Amino acid sequence: MKKFLKKIILISLPIIVAAISIEYLLRQIPNEYAYKRHYLDKNSNKIETLILGSSHSFFGINPAFMMENTFNSSNVSQSLKYDFKILTKYQNNFKNLTTIVLPIDYFSPWQDLAAGSENWRVKNYVLYYGMKSFKLNDYSEFLSIDLQKNLTRIKDHYITGGAISYSDLGWGTAYNSSKSLDLIKTGQTAAQRHTNDIFSKENQETYTKNLAILNSILNFCNQHNIKLILITSPTYNTYRENLSKIQLNKMFETIYNFVDEHKDVTYLNYFADTDFTEQDFYDADHLNEIGAEKFSRKLAHSIDSLNKL
Amino acid sequence: MEAFAAAGIHLQTHTLKIILPVGVSFYTFQALSYSIDIYRKKIEPTRDIIAFFAFVSFFPQLVAGPIERATNLLPQFYARRNFDYAKAVDGMRQILWGLFKKIVIADNCAVYVNQVFDTPQTQSSSTLLLAAIFFAFQIYGDFSGYSDIAIGTARLFGFNLMRNFNFPYFSRDIAEFWRRWHISLTTWFRDYIYIPLGGNRVSKAKVIRNTFIIFLVSGFWHGANWTFIVWGGFHALLFLPLVLLGKNRKNTNTIAENRIFPTITECFQWGITFLLVIAGWVFFRAKTIGEAVVYLAGICNTSFFEIPTGKKLIIRCFLFILLLLIMEWLNRNKQHGLEQMDKVKPIFRYVFYYMIVLAILLFAGKEQVFIYFQF
Repeated sequence: MKKFLKKIILISLPIIVAAISIEYLLRQIPNEYAYKRHYLDKNSNKIETLILGSSHSFFGINPAFMMENTFNSSNVSQSLKYDFKILTKYQNNFKNLTTIVLPIDYFSPWQDLAAGSENWRVKNYVLYYGMKSFKLNDYSEFLSIDLQKNLTRIKDHYITGGAISYSDLGWGTAYNSSKSLDLIKTGQTAAQRHTNDIFSKENQETYTKNLAILNSILNFCNQHNIKLILITSPTYNTYRENLSKIQLNKMFETIYNFVDEHKDVTYLNYFADTDFTEQDFYDADHLNEIGAEKFSRKLAHSIDSLNKL
Repeated sequence: MEAFAAAGIHLQTHTLKIILPVGVSFYTFQALSYSIDIYRKKIEPTRDIIAFFAFVSFFPQLVAGPIERATNLLPQFYARRNFDYAKAVDGMRQILWGLFKKIVIADNCAVYVNQVFDTPQTQSSSTLLLAAIFFAFQIYGDFSGYSDIAIGTARLFGFNLMRNFNFPYFSRDIAEFWRRWHISLTTWFRDYIYIPLGGNRVSKAKVIRNTFIIFLVSGFWHGANWTFIVWGGFHALLFLPLVLLGKNRKNTNTIAENRIFPTITECFQWGITFLLVIAGWVFFRAKTIGEAVVYLAGICNTSFFEIPTGKKLIIRCFLFILLLLIMEWLNRNKQHGLEQMDKVKPIFRYVFYYMIVLAILLFAGKEQVFIYFQF
């Protein structure tokens, strides 16, 4: 038995050492989650406008073109649950927070990061925001993404010297107009990816949970005297044409009912805003840096007008 | 759920999971064999309740077999087990090989197979044929991989489980294939259904009846879907001529026995058998019979000579399948694909082990649930 265990340990040792080294190297790579946590740790008491949400706001809202002390703490596929977790994590630090911009897009009411195909991203909240998870994989970079992708990340950072893809104020810089994708193709694939069977038991449960989270966010805002602004981000028509009308109507119905019930909530709908043209989009549902500037200025103007009311 | 709904019983998913927990068809058969063997006075009923429940729920093979017999497994719970180094090392090798078959072969093939089987109408004939071949290796890698992991794990604890696969894709006829594929289920049906019905020692009409019963029941065991019944019936039709002509035990030895390479005749027999098995797998994999017919019809058209789509994934699957076939060919007289590794020089042996581990870590396909967990 001793001989067997000794051999097992000896054989496993190089694999364990390699795994620990890879984990260490991966954790040293700068990423938007670690940066945003660090920024919020240090500056949350100065933030006046906080942007939450998923990739639509991460790439679409650049705080550099908004009011002073705006910070974008959205991330790719960040669902309402994680928006709320970020808020509660820093609830005692947000001394000057006056406005929260919360995107509600076509997929948002049925989105749960931990349950979807992007669930590997949960590790970012566990490792870099210090949130809890019941899944062991979420506590490790090495275990949560396959080795090939991890090695590519290491190569990109340590050998090729990959650039940082977020701004100082948390805006995602990767979706550049010089690298725009085919709007027809991405319209179809994104619409397909975002369309759910909203009548399935799982999706109905997620919908109910998300609605409860939305109410919790509103309660948080009311308690802290913060204005909650719901927005729907701009999209290109090739995306809109491929959406399920049932899901889209349900999404709008949810927002309008919520806004009707809560007069202190404002809703700004840019979903089919004609100001945004082909040149503003990276793909059919994400703005590029030109669109992000246009959208951020427009949003800032609307918020400013609301504040003057 | 649909079957229950048809009977007017509307169940929730979680209720069904309680009524029909994972692996139910495996341990039901295991418990049945115990009762039948007692009835037949093959074994004495056990008075050791812990041994009995350990036999029914032995964790390595609980969810997907091998379906053990009380005559083999139960006495092993009574005996004192001492740690056996050689057995444990071989168990580890078998686990490693099982992981490779599941994670690298089956899960990579599954990506290609799922894409093609989801849209068969839009695929070329060559793509359809390739996906059918890949499905053959997916289901083999998935199921025999699980069996290897289960048998290997049991060996670490000093238990010997029965063999479940004996390199079935090296078979030279359908009868040989069924002696090598899912052995624990096939022998269960043979011992508890086929032989009690008279087997092949009855009139020809009854042999035909018995053959169809055993294959249709085997198909039905996989699920209440006509595709499984047709798959069973198809194999019955292939098996029948062999049993009627008394040639079903023609190939009881190993292919290319005492030789490195097979003869041309053996190659021909192997090729035909493999193609027939693949045709059967199309029914097994398809959601409906209509879909399977469309799929098979799609293979037989002029686009057969077109280059299949998905070059990168095809090359990856092909290389790993080649490695699987080479290792299993070299070990075709043994229990599993890595059994003879102890004869290799330690340096080469460890390099090979690390290569397998690296392949598992680097080329893991998209995680798929074991196919046989649904049965």
